Amino acid sequence: MGFLRKASKTLKQSNYVSLLFNFNPLSSRITHERFSITRALFCTQSRQNYTKEKAIIDLSQYPPELVRNFSIIAHVDHGKSTLADRLLELTGTIKKGLGQPQYLDKLQVERERGITVKAQTATMFYKNIINGDDFKDGKESSNYLLNLIDTPGHVDFSYEVSRSLAACQGVLLVVDAAQGVQAQTVANFYLAFESNLAIIPVINKIDQPTADPDRVKGQLKSMFDLDPSDALLTSAKTGVGLEHVLPAVIERIPPPPGKSESSLRMLLLDSYFDEYRGVICHVAVVDGALRKGDKISSAATGKSYEAMDIGIMHPELTPTGILFTGQVGYVITGMRTTKEARIGDTIYHTKSTVDVEPLPGFKAAKHMVFSGLFPADGSDFEALSHAIEKLTCNDASVSVTKETSTALGLGFRCGFLGLLHMDVFHQRLEQEYGAHIISTVPTVPYIYEYSDGSKLEVQNPAALPSNPKQRVVACWEPTVIATIVMPSEYVGPVITLLSERRGEQLEYSFIDSQRVFMKYRLPLREIVIDFYNELKSITSGYASFDYEDSDYQPSDLVKLDILLNGQAVDAMATIVHNSKSYRVGRELVEKLKKVIDRQMFEIIIQAAIGSKIIARETVTAMRKNVLAKCYGGDITRKKKLLEKQKEGKKRMKRVGSVDVPQEAFHELLKVS
Amino acid sequence: MLKSTFTPIFCALAPKPKPSTRVITNTFSNSTSTVRQNSSLKNNPTITPSSAYIHLPFCRKRCHYCDFPIVALGSASTQTHDDPRVINYIQWLCREINATKIEDELDSAKTPLKTVFFGGGTPSLVPPSMVGTVLETLKMKFGVSESAEISMEMDPGTFDYKKMEEMMLLGVNRVSLGVQAFQEKLLKSCGRAHGLEEVHEAIDIVKKCGVENWSIDLIASLPHQTSEMWEESLRLAIEARPTHVSVYDLQIEQGTKFGRLYSPGEFPLPSETQSADFYTMASRMLRDANYSHYEISSYCKSGYECRHNFTYWKYKPFYAFGLGSTSFIGGLRFSRPRKVNEYMKFVENLENGSVNSSIDDNINSKDKALDVVMLSLRTARGLDLKHFQESFGSSLVLSLVEVYKPYVESGHVVFLDEQRRAVRIDDINNSLLDETDLERRVAYMRLSDPNGFLLSNELIALAFGVIDSWKDYPSALQEAT
Ligand SMILES: Nc1nc2c(ncn2[C@@H]2O[C@H](COP(=O)(O)OP(=O)(O)O)[C@@H](O)[C@H]2O)c(=O)[nH]1
Ligand SMILES: [Mg+2]
Repeated sequence: MGFLRKASKTLKQSNYVSLLFNFNPLSSRITHERFSITRALFCTQSRQNYTKEKAIIDLSQYPPELVRNFSIIAHVDHGKSTLADRLLELTGTIKKGLGQPQYLDKLQVERERGITVKAQTATMFYKNIINGDDFKDGKESSNYLLNLIDTPGHVDFSYEVSRSLAACQGVLLVVDAAQGVQAQTVANFYLAFESNLAIIPVINKIDQPTADPDRVKGQLKSMFDLDPSDALLTSAKTGVGLEHVLPAVIERIPPPPGKSESSLRMLLLDSYFDEYRGVICHVAVVDGALRKGDKISSAATGKSYEAMDIGIMHPELTPTGILFTGQVGYVITGMRTTKEARIGDTIYHTKSTVDVEPLPGFKAAKHMVFSGLFPADGSDFEALSHAIEKLTCNDASVSVTKETSTALGLGFRCGFLGLLHMDVFHQRLEQEYGAHIISTVPTVPYIYEYSDGSKLEVQNPAALPSNPKQRVVACWEPTVIATIVMPSEYVGPVITLLSERRGEQLEYSFIDSQRVFMKYRLPLREIVIDFYNELKSITSGYASFDYEDSDYQPSDLVKLDILLNGQAVDAMATIVHNSKSYRVGRELVEKLKKVIDRQMFEIIIQAAIGSKIIARETVTAMRKNVLAKCYGGDITRKKKLLEKQKEGKKRMKRVGSVDVPQEAFHELLKVS
Repeated sequence: MLKSTFTPIFCALAPKPKPSTRVITNTFSNSTSTVRQNSSLKNNPTITPSSAYIHLPFCRKRCHYCDFPIVALGSASTQTHDDPRVINYIQWLCREINATKIEDELDSAKTPLKTVFFGGGTPSLVPPSMVGTVLETLKMKFGVSESAEISMEMDPGTFDYKKMEEMMLLGVNRVSLGVQAFQEKLLKSCGRAHGLEEVHEAIDIVKKCGVENWSIDLIASLPHQTSEMWEESLRLAIEARPTHVSVYDLQIEQGTKFGRLYSPGEFPLPSETQSADFYTMASRMLRDANYSHYEISSYCKSGYECRHNFTYWKYKPFYAFGLGSTSFIGGLRFSRPRKVNEYMKFVENLENGSVNSSIDDNINSKDKALDVVMLSLRTARGLDLKHFQESFGSSLVLSLVEVYKPYVESGHVVFLDEQRRAVRIDDINNSLLDETDLERRVAYMRLSDPNGFLLSNELIALAFGVIDSWKDYPSALQEAT
């Protein structure tokens, strides 16, 4: 239901994935990139199909009229992945029931935890049978080529959703028959609606005892003006109703509109890095056709490549040597890094005589959350650097720049699409690369304007002068438009929470008699830290939440410094709204007092705005730590004790004369 | 060429990581150990020991705080001359002494022992005749110097006037009296086998017998101990006019009765602050009574330092014999088995040559530096920086000075010049720029009394950090690596 819950679910299951990795006989030829693992597993399932069909796939049989490109969109856990898997099975793209009941779940975990696991695409072949009769090669029965362009199931990656949608002409809007319309349903619906896509409502999980499809139909009507009679009723679990899904795709979603005679234009949908084959690009051919050996160029970078291998994802890479108008597939060009593969780029024939009009580009990945990443042990900088480099190789959506902190040493400032993205990145660094990291309080990018007219984008609070030479004339902070759906009894506390978070109500309506839908403008900063947990706890988990980024708004912001024995700790600085500075300052100082151990001298912890101290705590000096005991010649035990003490100190970060435990940095993350 | 000729020596000195379980081998002949004396490492522990610790493990009962290797004989046992456990043990002990390889075979003259320490357990439970046997064995084996300090731990209630005199006749000339507290209630609650009356008797006996050099041992921070009680104990100890007072802190050890009952800092144990106050009170009262605080837990009248204990603190080698005791010979700290059966097996192996407790094939200069710092900072004399620099190089000394500087300002650490005058922090700062100047100015580093001593674990751990990241080994060692 909620994205953070989902995140924790995947966390738990990730061990499982590594087990899988270890025992899979294929693993030796699989790279350490998680994504490839999934793919290889996928291969084992469909190997038979693959060899059989390899020779017979002739894409020229599928002119645009026989092609459908669609996505499945849904609130998290409403059954998107399960439905996708069922459709792949139904079309024989993957084999069903190999005696591994959790097989698809593992795959799903794999997809959901790593953000490089982006919108996956799978091509299916489907013979449409009309009215239940097989017309045996008659006109009413045709073979169709269906491209299922999967979308990531999390709000952080909504830019990827829109990217996927750009290659589609329609969507399956999956809604859980018991839970009904949720925040992400709303957000995703609007993404599809604004892209003018055909929308097929699918009410899923009708097998559940609490399923109430009629109520959901009512919600779809009132919220989205979708005709109740258009809704398909399915259970991706039992298979009920699934036979109607693909016929509806064929009937209700228009074929891709491209022109076969025009010169080639294709949209770069996605890319990933394969250790053995290099960068693999997912593309949608909008106009014209692409053949193996063609020289192609990127509109964004101007670089040229050769199309060395071309094919479809069926679901693994299946060479076809050609892709025609409206078709979706992959191309391997010898690009070295995914950074060359700009998502949303238009690719055309290098030799195109006519000037090719680039396709409307997608929304570029926007970094909403920044935090500093430092090696927990100062000496491990090289290891961390290496791990980050490897990981970003497959996830170009993370921005990385070097950062130096007096408290934490050399590290990196990383920009993320959102909080989950950040969590996943940290988790992967630790789990896949064994990196031990300290991350600083996440911050959003603020804009400061000074009296001399200069502007500063602040991605790191430490970089903001505490006592600037120029007067600050204005500051702006990024905001989001949040969608919240909840049972009506929780409206009171939720509104209180939102106003504490400086929210501004934009919309308030009833989805049905029991559920309320609200739209708020919120400063991004206010949801970065601990917002979702709080929302969940005050609504017992019944509220769903989604957001999309919006514009910058003027705000009254101040920089809050934390001082230890009078010395500002750069890695602990934050930017907060003036109205909250005292409370946050006090909380930070109290938290630190709890986690900083007593030391040989008194430690004064202060929070300050400029030169004004707004909160103060003292950690009294340790009085006694001595081993005054007759231990004769046996000093080994004493020595061990001192060694242990020394090791403890090594795990601390030294700030001036104060030893700060790493937990201190983690604790600070929890103060909003 | 150099390398191949000297390989065994360098191996012996190479700073390899220590194996967690020591393998005792006979690989090295005596010739290597002589050469090692000539190596660049001063302060070398391979010089011949002139001290011996003798463990006499018998007690009437185990005290509630004690985790030493002891043998409890039963509360009624005050006469032990016919106890087969004691007779047997003394035999094994003497066998161990006799089977021990003498370290000075190549020296022209034997090095007689200059200190002998009977520790326990309760050594005063052992009949004087048997103590005599042990001393005789030591004399035969190593020789015992005329002026040797021969100490014995004695507990109230385990000896009378006669026994004390007999011990003195055998040569025991220093007594360490285990009083622990001057409150009946506290003695009982920590499971001591004697009461307050025996304490006063014992003090009387020691004084009447004319033992010139004797110590009262006290324990601070006992459960339910109040600051009034502690003050009383200190006062009564001072009134008894011993030449030496040891003040130990109660340590709550795992596996002891106290370990099961109490946790440090929590009632009925004193809080950290109270406990620090106890320590400070001892330091102040004893100093006012003209005792010098010469080591973290030791005080004495001028000239009455325990010479045996200085062996430990000065990183000098020493023999040790008996159950669970630890010797330090040839750079190796070797702990004997703590169980009687295993100890006997060990002695047998020692006799048939399958074990050797004295040669370390793995002296690690880091470890050595750690030991030297850890031990010397316990003393008021402190760390002799000149000496330390000769052994470990000036870069390490500089790093140490750098790390401890803030604690000079905070009053935990004192730097002293050759004349043992405190060096001002400004002078240290100036000198840091110039190595030779620093050498000229600063000769010793010590922990202050009481604040530095009170935080000695914290402070010594700082040095451990420095030494741990120290890469600049003395050149002889570098060649070997
Ligand atoms: N009872 C029932 N459970 C379903 C159905 N479809 C999916 N699920 C379960 O719902 C959970 C979430 O499904 P999933 O496909 O991962 O949802 P996604 O987050 O939208 O991709 C999984 O445990 C599925 O097994 C269904 O039709 N009926
Ligand atoms: Mg899913």
